[in-house]
Amino acid sequence: MRQFLFPDLGEGLEEAEIVTWHVNEGDRVVVDQPLVSVETDKAVVEVPSPWSGQIARLFGAKGDLIKVGAPLVEFAEGERGDTGTVVGELGQEEKAHREVAAPAPAPARTLQVLPAVRALARKLDVDLNLVQATGPGGTITRADVERAAKSLAEAGPAEPLRGMRRAMAQRMAAAHTEVVRTTVTDEADIEDWQKEEDATIRVVRAIAAACRDETSLNAWYNAEAGERRLIKRVDIGIAVDTEGGLIVPVLRNVGERDARDLRAGLDRLRADAAARSIPPEELRGATITLSNFGMIGGRFANLIVVPPQVAIIGAGRIDQRVLVHNGAPAARRVLPLSLTVDHRVVTGGEAARFLMALKADLERAS
Amino acid sequence: MADEGLPVIARFEVHRRSYLAPDGTVLRPLPDFASDMSKLLALYRGMVLTRAFDLKAVSLQRTGRLGTYAVSLGQEAVSVGIASAMREEDVLLPSYRDNGTLLWRGTKMEEILLFWGGDERGNLSSGPAHDFPYCIPVGSQAPQAAGVAYAFKLRKEPRVAVCLFGDGATSKGDVWEAMNFAGVHKLPLLFVANNNQWAISVPLKLQTASQTLAQKAIAAGFIGEQVDGNDVIAVRAAAEEAIAQARAGGGPRLIEALTYRLSDHTTADDAARYRPPEEVQTRWKEEPIARLRAYLVSQKAWGKAQEEELAAECQKEIEAAIERYLASSPRAPETMFDHLYAELPRAYASQRGELSRGSDA
Amino acid sequence: MPELTLVEAINLALARAMEEDANVVVLGEDVGVNGGVFRATVGLQQRFGAERVIDTPLAELLISGLCVGMAAQGLRPVGEIQFMGFLYPCIDQLVNHASRLRNRTQGRLSCPMVLRTPHGGGIRAPEHHSESTEAMLAHIPGLRVVMPSSPERAYGLLLASIRDPDPVVFLEPTRIYRAAKGQVEDTGEALPLDVAFVLRKGRDVTLISWGAVVKETLAAADELAAQSIDAEVIDLATLKPYDEETVVASVTKTGRCVIVHEAARTGGFGAEIAALIAERGLTSLLAPIARVTGYDTVMPLPRLEQRYIPSVARIVAATHKVCEFA
Repeated sequence: MRQFLFPDLGEGLEEAEIVTWHVNEGDRVVVDQPLVSVETDKAVVEVPSPWSGQIARLFGAKGDLIKVGAPLVEFAEGERGDTGTVVGELGQEEKAHREVAAPAPAPARTLQVLPAVRALARKLDVDLNLVQATGPGGTITRADVERAAKSLAEAGPAEPLRGMRRAMAQRMAAAHTEVVRTTVTDEADIEDWQKEEDATIRVVRAIAAACRDETSLNAWYNAEAGERRLIKRVDIGIAVDTEGGLIVPVLRNVGERDARDLRAGLDRLRADAAARSIPPEELRGATITLSNFGMIGGRFANLIVVPPQVAIIGAGRIDQRVLVHNGAPAARRVLPLSLTVDHRVVTGGEAARFLMALKADLERAS
Repeated sequence: MADEGLPVIARFEVHRRSYLAPDGTVLRPLPDFASDMSKLLALYRGMVLTRAFDLKAVSLQRTGRLGTYAVSLGQEAVSVGIASAMREEDVLLPSYRDNGTLLWRGTKMEEILLFWGGDERGNLSSGPAHDFPYCIPVGSQAPQAAGVAYAFKLRKEPRVAVCLFGDGATSKGDVWEAMNFAGVHKLPLLFVANNNQWAISVPLKLQTASQTLAQKAIAAGFIGEQVDGNDVIAVRAAAEEAIAQARAGGGPRLIEALTYRLSDHTTADDAARYRPPEEVQTRWKEEPIARLRAYLVSQKAWGKAQEEELAAECQKEIEAAIERYLASSPRAPETMFDHLYAELPRAYASQRGELSRGSDA
Repeated sequence: MPELTLVEAINLALARAMEEDANVVVLGEDVGVNGGVFRATVGLQQRFGAERVIDTPLAELLISGLCVGMAAQGLRPVGEIQFMGFLYPCIDQLVNHASRLRNRTQGRLSCPMVLRTPHGGGIRAPEHHSESTEAMLAHIPGLRVVMPSSPERAYGLLLASIRDPDPVVFLEPTRIYRAAKGQVEDTGEALPLDVAFVLRKGRDVTLISWGAVVKETLAAADELAAQSIDAEVIDLATLKPYDEETVVASVTKTGRCVIVHEAARTGGFGAEIAALIAERGLTSLLAPIARVTGYDTVMPLPRLEQRYIPSVARIVAATHKVCEFA
């Protein structure tokens, strides 16, 4: 900073009054350029700049008295910043624009539909997902929409799924997305069972036995954490078909209870299910599931493993079949067995061993 | 060539007019109007007011209250001298630096501030309604001036168009095409080339190889005259003569006013990047206000008391104008559409509606 | 009623305007003694004098600048630019001044000028004489851009343009200057600006065009009619500002649209119309909007120019595609 002190303008001047500044703070001036007019006793005098440079500060305002030798103008060192333009202003600090990775787009079913056709579908209350497209490139045409409208009118009214049906729809969809299913089947030769054998309880107890032999199917799998929990206690979910739909109450601690106790427990569960009075806790916590679909019909099935379980057994319809027994064909009573496991957690060997253990237990004479 | 005996078929002359030396001494007999002290005092006041206003405008820009502004420091004699030779019914087509000309012809200071402050209403102008506003695309006002002058001629009106531009503009085709046409049709048109020696950073010697700008008129078929642009008496005298001639049907003229741009090109420019301070320092010694003051003082027509009084008056006027300018608020945004066409076409009514509702949706 | 060519209709309108209003002035190269290279201004100088019909020096920038100055002073200048290929020096005066003089002076000054120029190719002319860059001009706020497609519309729209208080660029379809003939009576009646003309009503598809190719578009409509496709043909006429209502109403009715213009495809004015239809008529569309245009190439020299300009066959083919979409 260089200061220009108010000079002695001559004839014993001590001070003068500032009349007009001719420059602004920030101006660049050159030598001899008039800085200010001041009034002395005698006249109004212009004071020229002694240097070229940029004015940082003006001392005093119009009307102020300034003494000879006092600072009049302060000059700045250095250059004025380069504006980088000749008009307007260029903005300086711009925060760097951080590029945010776009989220992966939700997979959507893209329908090739013209806007006019879409509007028609809306008007006729036709869900475009139900329309079969016959237009070029898979587009839905107006005729397609009109046809769908007609057939929907002839079909029954849309019935929203509620309660057990809705729960089943959601549970099965979730299981399907997650589980890697593998099914292995066999038949148990139950010719040596007593006539009044309680088939369901027999199967249930056989499952418990098989769980003791091959422990890896009585387990829970937490896919997110990647953890498997082998469980000692066998709590079997029994799939029950009711009026309202599928329900799977749990028969607890099958391994430690006797047949009569198990039967009583199962009957109570069935009755409660039919009466729709099963408390929610009775539906939770199964470690493995049995589907007795054979009571209605069918032999083998590809069943649904519901996480966190890793296995489900299907008991098919008991029938007489011609088998090879002791080297010769014979009519024997057989119980078809299906075992579906989650192959993320259960190996083929484990599944096969379990099935063999189950079969062996079932084939014992009562 | 002369040795071969070839006839010379054209010669030309360019005169330079001046009356006052830089220190205010008289060089030759003054024109008639200069004996009327009130006229000279009016010119002096005009220049002082222009400079004070420009200075204040720069201060507003530096404090963020005005946009880019083009100062006319050092050129006040050209602005004021030309304006003072015009009649109200004449039409002015200025460049973007002719602040003193607009002020002299009645544009209010707050209107000039409003324009450079970013509001079109500044061009509504309290000056003559037929004057053109500031022109930014350099030289493009020249063909327009020819059109204006042609209208006067067609309607046989005793009016003159006055077109101001700088030395840079004389390199543009616009200016040449206008001068050429003006010459063909002997239009009532005064071209003023305000030669302040610099076009932003391009000095005159890179602008043209021509010895003078004035002689470019000769190629267009009319007189070009040089004038000391820092001598307001000379500027006015030259302008008066040219305008009178044009008004009387004598055709166009080009006046080259020699002056110097003592300031940066605009408030965003930094002239120190391209020209030496010593040059500017030297030119300060020729500046127009000090020159006329010296003459007035020598004629005992001016003194300390009047200087004070004038400074105070100017400050008062300027401050009042600044206050009015700062108190103004922006137009309602939908008014963007108001003077787009004589009548807003239907197609754009909805856009106007968007703005008036304050939504961009 | 006399049958006139398009250029004769323009001549008639100019004479009429000059007769009615002493402020109307015509200027340009060769417009006076020669009557214009296309004879658009023939007879005017003899009738109205050299002061009002001016043979300017060879300087397009000057012509447009003169118009601005004259118009600001209350004259009604009608400048002629000999070919659209030579219009470009005028862009500065049109964009920086004519289009915004009213706005920048908040109505204090205005610019009622007309700049006329021949538009488009097809006359086997040398390079630069076949331009069709109307989209550039239609982009500029404050301008009007008008293009007649017939002698009747040329007469009525030119009168309207001269009388309009704002600047107009009037584009004249060169190749039908003499080929188009129509019944034009010198009534002095102007046609409305900013309005599109429905030249043919139809149910199945909307064909939108302007300038010389309206001729091909109408011919295509006839051919399509014989193939049981009933086309509605719209002549846009004023490109800026254009008649959005008529366009949208037509496409809402038909659900299908083909836009035809000689100018190059990308950024051509058809793109603006397609955008408008997508914005305001999307749910009526039964097929994508088609454009039949010049290619995105420089207009070729005469040996190939007929392959560039949209032909009747190209228009018919595009319309079939649109009608058979779904």
